[in-house]
Amino acid sequence: MDTLDAQTWLADHGDYLFRVARRQLHSDELAEDAVQETLLAALTARTRYAGDASPRTWLTAILKHKIVDLIRRSVREVEIPCDADGEEAVDLLFKQDGHWAEPLRPWGNPQAEAELGQLRRVLDECADRLKPVMAQVFSLREVAGMETEEICKELGITPTNCWVLLHRARLFMRQCLELSGFSKAGAA
Amino acid sequence: MKWISTCKETTALASRAMDQQLPFSDRMVLRLHLAICENCARFNRQLQEMRRLFREAATDDHAAGLTAEARQRIATELQNKLDT
Repeated sequence: MDTLDAQTWLADHGDYLFRVARRQLHSDELAEDAVQETLLAALTARTRYAGDASPRTWLTAILKHKIVDLIRRSVREVEIPCDADGEEAVDLLFKQDGHWAEPLRPWGNPQAEAELGQLRRVLDECADRLKPVMAQVFSLREVAGMETEEICKELGITPTNCWVLLHRARLFMRQCLELSGFSKAGAA
Repeated sequence: MKWISTCKETTALASRAMDQQLPFSDRMVLRLHLAICENCARFNRQLQEMRRLFREAATDDHAAGLTAEARQRIATELQNKLDT
């Protein structure tokens, strides 16, 4: 393999890798770092690339490790919100006796491309408003589909903490989607 | 054994059920509550819907890509690495 390959990877798969990373890191800057580190690692490891997977699959596998590395680094910088404002936000959703404070509204079922585009923006906006560590745990689980044990291990947090973060993130995301007008009569 | 859970407790169970197989007793408590509570049943459906939407959105290929500057910077880094 020669120079052409690494530059070709960037040309052919750079945007794709960036989008995958952006979805999970919620930051353009971190996503660019992830792409760069992925391609540099791929360059180092290119002799081990047997060519039995497509370059994109191979690069995406490397990218996943880089994303986890970047998240792990940023998690160390952020205090995990065990019970601070996360809990208060959850408490607002429920009455004292544990019942829902407000009835839940049904969601629409976006089909048209324009509606889906709108929805993606809302999803991104809501995810961006999560605390960073919550957003990261949430996207590793819900977007990347990693198992919780794997996420705990990678991020060095306890399973209990992981579930608490996931649960609060889900409550928040659901609420955020509902408040963003993503509710219509007659669906889920 | 407590068979009746509050909505708040139920949402925690429903959320956890998205990540792992719950113990039998928790599964029963969850099912019982979902059978009689419209809001929590909706919450549970929306959790699943949310996962579907996120995974769908993640495979979207129409979103933006690298900026020209970032692309250039990475290309330079790759070249530097090759030159060393």
